[in-house]
Amino acid sequence: MRLYAFCIYIFLYTPLAIIALFSFSAGRSASDFHGFSLQWYETAANNRLVKEALMNSLLVAFTSSALATLFGTAAAIMLPRVKGVARILFDGLTYVAIMVPGIVIGISTLIALVTAFNVINPQILAFWPGDPATAPQLGLGFGSLICAHSLFAMALIIVIVRARLMGMDRSLIEASMDLYADPWGTFRQITFPQILPGILAGFLLSFTFSLDDYVIASFVAGSRVTLPIYVFASIRRGVTPEINAIGTAVLVVSLIMLIGSQFLLRRGQKPAT
Amino acid sequence: MIDPRKEFMAQLRRYQMGSVSRRHFLGVTGLGTAMAVMGAAMPGLLPRKAYAGNIGDKVSLATWPNYHDPKDFEKFKELTGADVEVSVFGSNEEFLAKLQAGGTGWDVFVPTNYTVSTHADLGLIEPLDLAKIPNYDIAAQDAKLIGEGTVKGTVYGAAKDWGTTGFAVNTAKVKENPTTWKEFWDLTRGAYSGRVTVHDYQLTTIGNALKYYGYSFNSNDEKELADAEKLLLEAKPHLFAITSDYQPAFRNGDAWLGICWTGDGKQLHRDIPEIIYVLGKEGGEVWTDFYAIPKSAPNREGGYALVNFLLDPAVNATEVQFHGQPSTDSRTNKLLPPEMLNDPIMYPAADLLSALEFGSAATFTNPARAEILARFKAA
Amino acid sequence: MARARKWDWTAILLMSPSFAIFLALLVLPIIVVLVLSFGERAEAGGYEAAFTLAQYANLPARWAAFRNTLSLAPTGTILCLLAAYPLAYFLAVKASPRSKLLLLILVIVPFWTSFLIRTYAWIFILGGKGIPALLDWVGIPDVRLINTPFAVLLGIVYAYLPLMVFPIFVSLEKLDKRLLEASEDLGASPWATFRQVTLPLSAPGVATGCMLVFILLMGEYLIPALLGGGKVFFIGNALVDLFLQSRNWPFGSAVAVSLVAIMLVTVTLYLRLTLNRRGFRDQSMV
Repeated sequence: MRLYAFCIYIFLYTPLAIIALFSFSAGRSASDFHGFSLQWYETAANNRLVKEALMNSLLVAFTSSALATLFGTAAAIMLPRVKGVARILFDGLTYVAIMVPGIVIGISTLIALVTAFNVINPQILAFWPGDPATAPQLGLGFGSLICAHSLFAMALIIVIVRARLMGMDRSLIEASMDLYADPWGTFRQITFPQILPGILAGFLLSFTFSLDDYVIASFVAGSRVTLPIYVFASIRRGVTPEINAIGTAVLVVSLIMLIGSQFLLRRGQKPAT
Repeated sequence: MIDPRKEFMAQLRRYQMGSVSRRHFLGVTGLGTAMAVMGAAMPGLLPRKAYAGNIGDKVSLATWPNYHDPKDFEKFKELTGADVEVSVFGSNEEFLAKLQAGGTGWDVFVPTNYTVSTHADLGLIEPLDLAKIPNYDIAAQDAKLIGEGTVKGTVYGAAKDWGTTGFAVNTAKVKENPTTWKEFWDLTRGAYSGRVTVHDYQLTTIGNALKYYGYSFNSNDEKELADAEKLLLEAKPHLFAITSDYQPAFRNGDAWLGICWTGDGKQLHRDIPEIIYVLGKEGGEVWTDFYAIPKSAPNREGGYALVNFLLDPAVNATEVQFHGQPSTDSRTNKLLPPEMLNDPIMYPAADLLSALEFGSAATFTNPARAEILARFKAA
Repeated sequence: MARARKWDWTAILLMSPSFAIFLALLVLPIIVVLVLSFGERAEAGGYEAAFTLAQYANLPARWAAFRNTLSLAPTGTILCLLAAYPLAYFLAVKASPRSKLLLLILVIVPFWTSFLIRTYAWIFILGGKGIPALLDWVGIPDVRLINTPFAVLLGIVYAYLPLMVFPIFVSLEKLDKRLLEASEDLGASPWATFRQVTLPLSAPGVATGCMLVFILLMGEYLIPALLGGGKVFFIGNALVDLFLQSRNWPFGSAVAVSLVAIMLVTVTLYLRLTLNRRGFRDQSMV
């Protein structure tokens, strides 16, 4: 059993080790090792396209997961108060949003948004007071990408926070009510601290989901280049160890984030225990 | 007779007073080429924001992998202050599909000859305002190669470069020295099973399967296509990959034989001399890629500025040396090193070239061909 | 019975943004795709308005892709389960409490790195200069690994293992160790203990893990594209080709609608069959 576990860890970590190893190669090709060097980290750090792709990805990931967390949490908290058809509808939508494959989300969002643009853009043009050439026109880009990412992220957060709420001790809320705390006070002092770890976990999950998504982005990002789109293009071109350097850097940053989030979650759990 | 010194001073004065553009001034005084050559060597020499008008801070280019020297984009940024946002695609179908869907945000893209008329007919690209691309001198282009950039008398595409579709052979592994598509497909199903790649789009993969039987590359005949499909289905289990990004597989030693474009052949041969590029004797494809501006371009001026910059013979020459596809522009060819002009990969022998066909729009848009490729991939 | 309805304005206010997002980004796209799936392909590709069932009638043309997905998705799920279960068991039951958390985090870490880069690592490992070169060196020449169904399955197991380990671990973790001891004390063999005590108790975790992996595999597109060399063809790949290569949007939409329908039916049935305990569904999704 122990040996088996050991083998699985080897299986999990060999690819990562190889990526990291070749990121220090001095050679031009990502498949032959030619002595130790940090040059690919320098190349990546000085590459305008990499920096821009990273910034784009961070912007999209942060905005979409922040929106999703805000709206998703609000919905999850209010959900127990919704009954009947509305509730069934909402649960059904959450369920479908989680289940529909990314590839279908990407394609259908693209078509739907473009259809909507084709209706809206002539209207803007018609009612634009100034020079028609300066009229704003909707197109694919950050906006569409953020929207598409928020959908899945929000469904995820609704489910996570709701599970957390259901696992919560109801007697605390009742006690608070008995002590004549108003609903907002009860929420702020009792409910919120208890569901906070769930909210944070949901935020973090959506953040990494967005940061790592290629499939949806390749359809709705328009001309914007995110980090996965850049990486995919590099893999296609035939790769220099620059990609390995980016990968290793991403690994180290996610490790730091993971450890940080564990730290936060544990602190968050303390009041609950 | 005009005193050249006086003429120069007169032009300089007019330039300073703003009655002629900088480009016109440099053009008539012959300083342009000199500056471009020096600028290529020392980008710092070129003044910032040299382009007239405001082209914004970002120009979006949709293009093919390994198709531009990144240093040229840096030069463009020095000149104009605008960053070039590059997205890469693997097939003309993808360009067309994305533009048909809409909202791409591209300012310039690089369609191949056989798709220009389709884009134009669908109203997806705009007629080029040639006044904004003074560097595109139609008289200096090879007329045989740029025909399809013009649709019904209107210029929609400014030729970027041209090339052929043959196959790459790793001669260290493949000893038979294949020179025909017949040998290519026979070796695929024989000695080199599992070592062959074909393109991941229908035009060349089906076209070169048609060549096995000696049919036209552009055939849309039902029976001939059925033969090609049969060959493809037979070859499928013997393929290493169906991909248009085959360079990594060749560099890694996994693929030894594969359908290949001029530029990839040149790039592979440059780095790994035993990989050679062969044109099938039966024929196959010759193509030209054009710069085109989508109707939906958010930054049209930026798009024109980028095309004009990249077609500057001095810049174009650095591009050609990077990507290894021959230029259609005689002025660019003059700036290329002679060994490049004598390179049989880039400039194949006349008898090989004469057997080649340009892909046709009808071939490109034939739904039956698309279905054959889908069946081939799913098999 | 007419009853004056009291509107819960707070709930309506707080739920409306998420409801609006669902409407605009889920319901609207689904409607658009449904409408398209009854249309016709325009001459030059794209969509032309029509009302026809021709696209659905044409579905058998992508039978191979459906067949591949419907066989590879369960195979991949089962392989993931087989690889994950012993590890989850080890982590939950055998590992010392001190090392448990660290070992668990170590399972998740690869999941938090770029998916494309991890898969790219496998392209190298399975490619000519990776394992085949190693095998050649020890005297087993000419092994081909990359661009085979094996490579795709390996990529799948690698990518989705943590998703399987985690829920199984959680359910085994809740298992009362005294039950195992009791079973042993009663003279049950280790196998009997496992079959009669451990396995039934870990069933919810297994069910959750399988569902997560299965859902992801049904829509899989990147792993076959990168590790299958374009030769292993899933519905996801067929969809991408229909939209980006043949530009046959109505048919692509019909394929998308069928895929979603198949998933809704299988997953709902699956949930009904395995997770009929009340309130379980919410936990299962986490």
